[in-house]
Amino acid sequence: MMQALGVKGLSGIGLLVALSPFWVGNPFYTDIIVTILYYAALSLAWNLVGGYAGQFSLGHTSFFGVGAYTSTLLFLNLDISPWFGMLAGGVLAAIMALLIFTPCFRLKGFYFCLVSIALAEVLRIIAVYWRGLTMGGVGLLLPVKPAWQNFLFESKYPYLIFALLLLLIMIGVTYWLGRSKLGYYLQAIREDESAAKAVGINVVRCKTIIMMISAFFTAVSGTFYAQYMMFIDPDIVFSMHMSIQVALFAIIGGVGTLAGPVLGAFLLVPLDAVMKGWLGTIYAGLGFVVYGAILIAVVMLMPDGIVKSAEAWMGRRRPKEIKEVEYLEDAVIPPPALEPPPGEILHVKGLCKSFGGLNAIYELDLSVRRGEIVGVIGPNGAGKTTLFSLISTFLKPDRGSVSFCGQDLGQMAPHSVCAMGLSRTFQVVRPFMHLSVLDNVATACLLRDPHVPRARERALEVLRFVGLGDQAHKPASSLTLPNRKRVELARALATRPSLILLDEVMAGLNPSEIRQIIELVRRISATGITLVVIEHVMKAIMSLSDRIVVINYGQKIAEGTPQEIVANPLVIEAYLGKETAHA
Amino acid sequence: MFTQLLQLTANGLLLGAIYALNAMGLTLIFGVMEIINFAHGEFLMLAMYGAFFLNVWMGMGPYVAIVVVVPLFFVLGVAFQRLMIQPLLDSQEIAQIFATVGLSIVLSNGALFFFSADYQMVRTDYSLESLDLFGVYLGYTRIFAFAAVCMVALGLYLFMKRTYMGRAIRATAQDRRAAALMGVNVRRVYMITTGLGLACVGITGSVLSPIFSVFPSVGTQFGLIAFVVVVLGGMGNLAGAFFGGLIIGLVEAYSGFFLDPALKTVVYFVVFILILLVKPSGLFGSTVRENG
Amino acid sequence: MLEVSSLEVCYGDLVALSGLNLHVEQGRIVALLGSNGVGKTTLINTICGLFKPTKGSIVYQGTHLEREPAHRVVELGVVQVPEGRKLFPQMTVLENLQMGAYPPRARELAEESLDFVFGLLPRLKERTNQIAGTLSGGEQQMVALGRGLMARPRLLILDEPSLGLAPLVVQTIFETVRQVKETGITVLLVEQNVRQVLSFCDRAFVLENGCITLGGQGLELLDNPHVREAYLGM
Repeated sequence: MMQALGVKGLSGIGLLVALSPFWVGNPFYTDIIVTILYYAALSLAWNLVGGYAGQFSLGHTSFFGVGAYTSTLLFLNLDISPWFGMLAGGVLAAIMALLIFTPCFRLKGFYFCLVSIALAEVLRIIAVYWRGLTMGGVGLLLPVKPAWQNFLFESKYPYLIFALLLLLIMIGVTYWLGRSKLGYYLQAIREDESAAKAVGINVVRCKTIIMMISAFFTAVSGTFYAQYMMFIDPDIVFSMHMSIQVALFAIIGGVGTLAGPVLGAFLLVPLDAVMKGWLGTIYAGLGFVVYGAILIAVVMLMPDGIVKSAEAWMGRRRPKEIKEVEYLEDAVIPPPALEPPPGEILHVKGLCKSFGGLNAIYELDLSVRRGEIVGVIGPNGAGKTTLFSLISTFLKPDRGSVSFCGQDLGQMAPHSVCAMGLSRTFQVVRPFMHLSVLDNVATACLLRDPHVPRARERALEVLRFVGLGDQAHKPASSLTLPNRKRVELARALATRPSLILLDEVMAGLNPSEIRQIIELVRRISATGITLVVIEHVMKAIMSLSDRIVVINYGQKIAEGTPQEIVANPLVIEAYLGKETAHA
Repeated sequence: MFTQLLQLTANGLLLGAIYALNAMGLTLIFGVMEIINFAHGEFLMLAMYGAFFLNVWMGMGPYVAIVVVVPLFFVLGVAFQRLMIQPLLDSQEIAQIFATVGLSIVLSNGALFFFSADYQMVRTDYSLESLDLFGVYLGYTRIFAFAAVCMVALGLYLFMKRTYMGRAIRATAQDRRAAALMGVNVRRVYMITTGLGLACVGITGSVLSPIFSVFPSVGTQFGLIAFVVVVLGGMGNLAGAFFGGLIIGLVEAYSGFFLDPALKTVVYFVVFILILLVKPSGLFGSTVRENG
Repeated sequence: MLEVSSLEVCYGDLVALSGLNLHVEQGRIVALLGSNGVGKTTLINTICGLFKPTKGSIVYQGTHLEREPAHRVVELGVVQVPEGRKLFPQMTVLENLQMGAYPPRARELAEESLDFVFGLLPRLKERTNQIAGTLSGGEQQMVALGRGLMARPRLLILDEPSLGLAPLVVQTIFETVRQVKETGITVLLVEQNVRQVLSFCDRAFVLENGCITLGGQGLELLDNPHVREAYLGM
């Protein structure tokens, strides 16, 4: 809604800008407008990574400089048109992003920052050093040969049009991203990486793709800069200040929004120009002092930026007009995406895992047949959740194997396990808090159907199935605990699994809520999905399970029907302690 | 040739010691609070200016200046923790990164405004003199710096091992909540840690002032090297920072000689990126948990 | 000694504890029972000053604890041995114990406390210089207990000390707890190991869905059908 509003506002600005030279006819103002436009485009490109992937780059000039130098060098040395050079630079930057940044996505966020700074610095030094190619610190001058194919013009107007075009493309890319599978996935990753993996999202791949897109367009802007200024040198195009400026615009306007980076550029570029005019060169540094102060103030006081803060403010005043969806008990969910083989569906053999000298799981065997509901019980700390994390490959076992539908999961990542049809929920619920309930589930639906509108329809159906049809448009953070647990379940169901691992979906619920969940689990089972359920609520698990496995000290101490388990002295001992202890 | 190699090694170690001291301040703060101070280099720049102006105005030698600069920087660190780091601890990652980035911009450009872009240096009688050790020449200022570093490193080690406060700092770094349950005032530990971190920077700046020129953007270079050293030694690992500093000093000396002095930065940044790609916990292990 | 009245604690919009009353008498072992997720750990962390209650009061020997920061609570003599032990893994056993004696009140007595702890847990004396993270689970629990005692508690709170430990080790730990009580320290014990706890505690409370639903003298609770149902589903 806000996005649509933003788009209208932006197209208005675009029109205004395109016509402005006719009104002002002043090269100084034209220059400012061109600067605003390409900075806005650059900032949007930065925002793809900073806002959507949640990785903050402090060295985006690496790509900017690579774009500028590639096209310029190709043009000067090989007489290749900068139009081609622009694409070549973009591709080169994207490859660079792939090779250098992909490994960083496995690490904590600040490593990415540090590598981005280091890369820009290395490139700058290389550009200074390699005088034979780049003329070093002297810089490269483009010849005054205005021609369309040379991407050089006498008037500033064509540049303005191109800058506007670049901005519109970036707006288009950002707009598309907000509605695409990749956008949904990135949003989910930003909210909660583990939960994202659990619905089949390949975190590293998503981040790498968006990084490459961002690098490509940043390099394209670099080429534009070179053509516009007709001069580049290492200290300008690889400067850290520019990297920070680009990030600053996005942060002030609002990271992760469409309008934010554009707004940031529109506010700050003129401010910069005005300050330069007023203060002149004598007051070198003062302009950046102001920049730095603004940056500190914004991130510490208003880290969501202007757009989101304004949106929150408007949202308070304007009641949302969203059609509530009725509650449908008879909703159906699609069958498992992959038909599992009959008989044994999950096989765990000799599984061991220890943490710092403690055996969390030790020599554990488990077999689950298709269509069963298997209960896993055991005292607190017995290793039940660890077992689930091992099966879903969130943890790697020290020894032993897990196979699902006859395939060994040893080398697999959680997202591919999910794609195979093995889904899990988390004991401590982890909905994507800032997304709507519908988007939470739609993100999971995208695993089987990349088409976003269809995935949303499917998601609604799943929500009706779990009894959340009337909550679909609320943000997940506004739900009560029982409903959050249902979202968790719905998200697992939406990946169309053949086996679900349910980790304590009833803990903390009252008896009537528990009855509803039991009913729901039965209905899930009736659709042909196999379930393994960890539960502390004994009554529930006894009435629900076909078979119960009891774990204590990481080992299986009993297995059998609920009746057998209740009568088993070992189980009583595990729960209540040894009978003899108080004798 | 042999003497030349010895000379290179000596140069590298003497330089590396300074890098080590500088990095220890950074890694200490990170190890306890998990906040990266991107303004670290700029604090160093301020310390160098501090030593410089104490020399110009009051005729204080750089080693005497330590007595003034270090307490001042401890207080500065406490204030920095109270006003900036503490509010950041519960903030979003974007704030944790960009607040100190903003501070670094303010400091370096503020210095440009107040002190101009000129290169300044503390000049002493012994600045250019060297000790001749069997044909290997060691500048006195560098020897002093090296001695200072070793003293500080030893002092820090003993402080961390032997005192209640030192143990409390380590405990807080390992488990914040458990430390609070032992009666540790975590906020106070944070302030003291940051104070100590910046005190290290204060010493580094003072001993550097007769060796390197000071100018507003000098912090960028030293800040980046500090990051390289810290990652190499393992984020949050004090001993790692010490040895990491020496290694980077050697790398710089050798690459300056065998390749080209202009490329030394490239060489250790390549080392840096390789470390991150191959062994992100650093050569000496770290307190950092990998993210999935 | 400790009086908790009409306590309410929330995480955001979620109410974790509400209308909770608890009374702990001096010199006793009081057990707090309840299954996973009912708020046991929330309760003791609130007592220890890690969480702030939205309503209600916690009075310990005449002092209100509900607004005190965690380190002040420790200084007053309320010491928690946290669930999962939470040792400082890269420190030695001795350093961990010394950390326990961090409060100024305990520092002066550190030497004496150390002798006391080693007397109580002789195993630790053999391991003084071992890194805590490399100990076995039972030994880690002993260090955690010893560390808590080093703080010179008047009220010692133990959060699931038997978690993940083998039965024999659990027996040793409980035996030690009994000895601790003999020295005049009041113990609040959070446990799942129902039968064993009930056999030696003086009083027990059952926590369900954020409030106390049942209280009684140790063993009589064991025969209460409510307890049997909650734990065994029988």
